Amino acid sequence: MILMLDTTREQIGKQLAEEMLHSGVSSASYELIDTTKLHISHCVGCNVCWLKTPGICAIKDDYAPILEKMSKANQVWLISDTHFGFVSYQTKNIVDRVMPLVTMYLQIKNGQTRHVMRYDHQPDFGIIYTGDGKQDYLEWWCQRLTLNFGSRSLGVFPAEHSKEAVTCML
Amino acid sequence: MHVVIINGSPRVQKYSNTEKIIASFAKGLSEKGVTFETYAVSDRSSWESIRKAYMENEEILIALPLYVECIPGLLLEFLETLPQKDEHTRLSFLLQSGFSEGCQLRCGEGFLKELPGYLGVRYGGCLVKGDNFGIRFLDQEKQERITKPYQAMGELFARGDGFFGEEAKKFTGPEYFSLPMRLLLQFLFKTLSRKLFQKVAASWGCTVPLAEKIWETD
Repeated sequence: MILMLDTTREQIGKQLAEEMLHSGVSSASYELIDTTKLHISHCVGCNVCWLKTPGICAIKDDYAPILEKMSKANQVWLISDTHFGFVSYQTKNIVDRVMPLVTMYLQIKNGQTRHVMRYDHQPDFGIIYTGDGKQDYLEWWCQRLTLNFGSRSLGVFPAEHSKEAVTCML
Repeated sequence: MHVVIINGSPRVQKYSNTEKIIASFAKGLSEKGVTFETYAVSDRSSWESIRKAYMENEEILIALPLYVECIPGLLLEFLETLPQKDEHTRLSFLLQSGFSEGCQLRCGEGFLKELPGYLGVRYGGCLVKGDNFGIRFLDQEKQERITKPYQAMGELFARGDGFFGEEAKKFTGPEYFSLPMRLLLQFLFKTLSRKLFQKVAASWGCTVPLAEKIWETD
């Protein structure tokens, strides 16, 4: 399953979905969520999802179903506007809130400290961005993000090259 | 020198590790006759006054926790509301994290290095230090003891050279752990630290295993 989380003001995910259909990605194999109409808070770092109700976020808003879909997806595509060359705060909030997928427990993995993941399956992540994103930094960040999951970066694509991202979905 | 210190953590100040670090750092500033004022972005109602302090002062320090390899979403939102300034203003950072090794904070530091350029201001360096997760769980006396080293960094900052010198670099500690250290940690992570976390969880009223699964995945 491919999950696309669109936080862009212009909702470019819709165009992307059309491109996907043209390229032969079956509509049953992906889900596009327009998050602009949802209420998704920032992570407040309370640690409740690690130490009080493991796996469950203390904030009750529209995020919970997204978290579960991310956890079960093979690919998560973050479709984001950019600021300071980086993803928007709306996208960063979605990523910061993944902590319930992580347990409090630690391990050494490939030479660095990592959290032990809560579930066996981990999604790969990719980024499609609008505006003046800093390509090399976004690639670095996506690599580090997926290093924490023990998964792979699918790559980082400016929206005008989103066809290339679609080829990663086939 | 007068420093505007902004706590960039989204966690309420009372439980903020960054807040305890700032307190120790600020003690070092005071020791050297530097004055300061502190703010916290976790309190949205103070954003207007933080912006005002940012605009009216030339020495700004943002202290923040690492959130998923970069800065917390809430701080990112606040920064998007800052007007442009010029290079008379210097913006420095104190980036702290739960993970211990220096390598864990480099991606976050990479963002912070470029940020002042986007805001039109000058970069004053970034002090990088991990291993701060446990501060909130300690009593006040132990918190003060464990954050004590930051006082020396406040004294260093008071000299006016930002965080570019060797002393600031050394403060980070090891970039990666040596093999013997990794083996020791791996053992501790599987034994003592699990017990410790379980104990904290029990005191928070947790009644299920910390590795509890909420749903099944294929």
